[in-house]
Amino acid sequence: MNDVTRQFRDFFVSLKLTIVLLALSIILIFAATLDQVNLGIWAVQQKYFHSLFVLWRVGDIPVPVFPGGYLIGGFLLVNLISAQVYRFKFTAKKSGIWLTHVGLIILLIGELLTGLWQEEFALRLDEGQSKNYSESYRFNELAITETTDAAFDDVVVIPEKILARGEAIQHAKLPFRVVLKIYFPNAALASRDEPATGAPPAPATPATKGIGLQATATPLPLTYKQDERNAPAAYVELVGAEGSLGTWLVSADPRFPPQRFDYAGRTWKIAFRFERSYKPFSLTLLKFSNDLYPGTDIPKNYSSRIRLNTPDGRDDREVLIYMNNPLRYAGLTFYQASFDGPKTTILQVVRNPSWLLPYIACALMTLGLLVQFGIHLVAFIARRRQAASAAV
Amino acid sequence: MRPRLLLLSAVALLLLSACRDPKIASYRVPKEKDPVMPPAAEPAAPPAASAPSAGATMANTAVTTADGPGLVWSAPASWTAKPASAVRKGSYLITGDAGATADLSITAFPGDVGGDLANVNRWRGQIQLPALAASELATATTHVDSNNLHLTVADFTGGTPAAPLRVLGAIIPVDGATWFFKLSGPAPLVAREQAAFAAFLKTIRAPGSTP
Repeated sequence: MNDVTRQFRDFFVSLKLTIVLLALSIILIFAATLDQVNLGIWAVQQKYFHSLFVLWRVGDIPVPVFPGGYLIGGFLLVNLISAQVYRFKFTAKKSGIWLTHVGLIILLIGELLTGLWQEEFALRLDEGQSKNYSESYRFNELAITETTDAAFDDVVVIPEKILARGEAIQHAKLPFRVVLKIYFPNAALASRDEPATGAPPAPATPATKGIGLQATATPLPLTYKQDERNAPAAYVELVGAEGSLGTWLVSADPRFPPQRFDYAGRTWKIAFRFERSYKPFSLTLLKFSNDLYPGTDIPKNYSSRIRLNTPDGRDDREVLIYMNNPLRYAGLTFYQASFDGPKTTILQVVRNPSWLLPYIACALMTLGLLVQFGIHLVAFIARRRQAASAAV
Repeated sequence: MRPRLLLLSAVALLLLSACRDPKIASYRVPKEKDPVMPPAAEPAAPPAASAPSAGATMANTAVTTADGPGLVWSAPASWTAKPASAVRKGSYLITGDAGATADLSITAFPGDVGGDLANVNRWRGQIQLPALAASELATATTHVDSNNLHLTVADFTGGTPAAPLRVLGAIIPVDGATWFFKLSGPAPLVAREQAAFAAFLKTIRAPGSTP
């Protein structure tokens, strides 16, 4: 091992690094807790913990000001693994500590994988309605759908993040380019002759087709509240080979319907909507029940009777989802999350392939601590017995 | 060798966190039904109210919003229904003497659209009246409860002495959205229709409820 490698190794193995990293995480958690007032829990998690650096915007340039959760956690992980490999020698006497550390490593990896892989969606169903997709709580997409065929739709989805970059988008499946004219991360809609008050005046609307002829969007400040979501709006121009097809106003407000148009002998629709995640099966809400405590409006129990079926007919069964009794299917967990009126259920759909890791980690750490304290206890009792028998 | 591999894999895992960019995707899905909504660019079929109704003086007009039924109402037969659009849930033309016309618009928007004060002041602005202060709102509007709905009703006359304009309006919060019923036009014509408008407001209800 040459000098550089050794220095590199010594840096990662050092206990000082552990202390510094723990101190940094304390500061990070403190700052994030305070900032939750401004940003809400989800944005704080993204900004402070699910990031390599905490960024501050100076003008338009993001400046890293503090290591983020991934960086600190990542270094802690490397530090812990290196210490495990280089510093701790596995002996029976220290097997408890060793186990505890392995548990801690798994916990850190589990958190990283959860941050990377976990997906949370909502599935909103009215009684009698079937859906084979769930919708994102946070993200939106511009969907351009070719509806010419009677049996199926061809969809091209552009995530809001990509659309917002403002670059013209050309996709192989679309005979036109998508050009963003104006984009508001959050907007209110108003009739064109009566702009919404309480918001700054909307710029002259560039819409030439669809609902934008009668409605305008006015920018609103972004909301970070737990129970609200932003409804971005955009003016989007579609440009074909012979020139512009027109400019449409689109909004992710769920009340804003998809807009249809014809081009090149085919029919299309354009919609800004909650990001969808399609499944290879569909769920139908058969019955939503909402029991209240007698004489009050306090929910006692709410449950959804769902029919689950796959197109190939392999699965076709009824399931009952209620609080603490989710449906687990195809790597997804469907929880009874909320409801909207007496006939509409809202399920939370979670995919977390690494959900087992924290359980394994905690079990290992508990076991490790038990073993380590057990070893000490046994040694202590043995010593006392020795001392007692020597005294006799 | 083993330790170095472990270190490397830990670092690689960390770097994984950097690549989570969204991508443009395309896929094919079975046909799905949209909420029924005519394209706004072309005038939609006129609502039932414009069709000659056999002897009925009031025609019922149910209007469906993008996310389900909203409110229904019955308009006097003397009002001429104009095509609704994506924004206007309902629209009526009222004709008076010497070609005078007044317009009744029914619109609905998500949220409270800035609150009653802002909306009332917007109407005042449209007929050249100064904005009200928050403290004046309570005396400038009246409140009516009808068919389980709460209506905030406003009546303002402005414009110029030569051509006075009047606005009669009602603001109704329904299921997280706000509905606006506004009759505006020359003051004499609006005055003539005032009683009809008041009767019209009484017919507004949620689709399931009985009048």
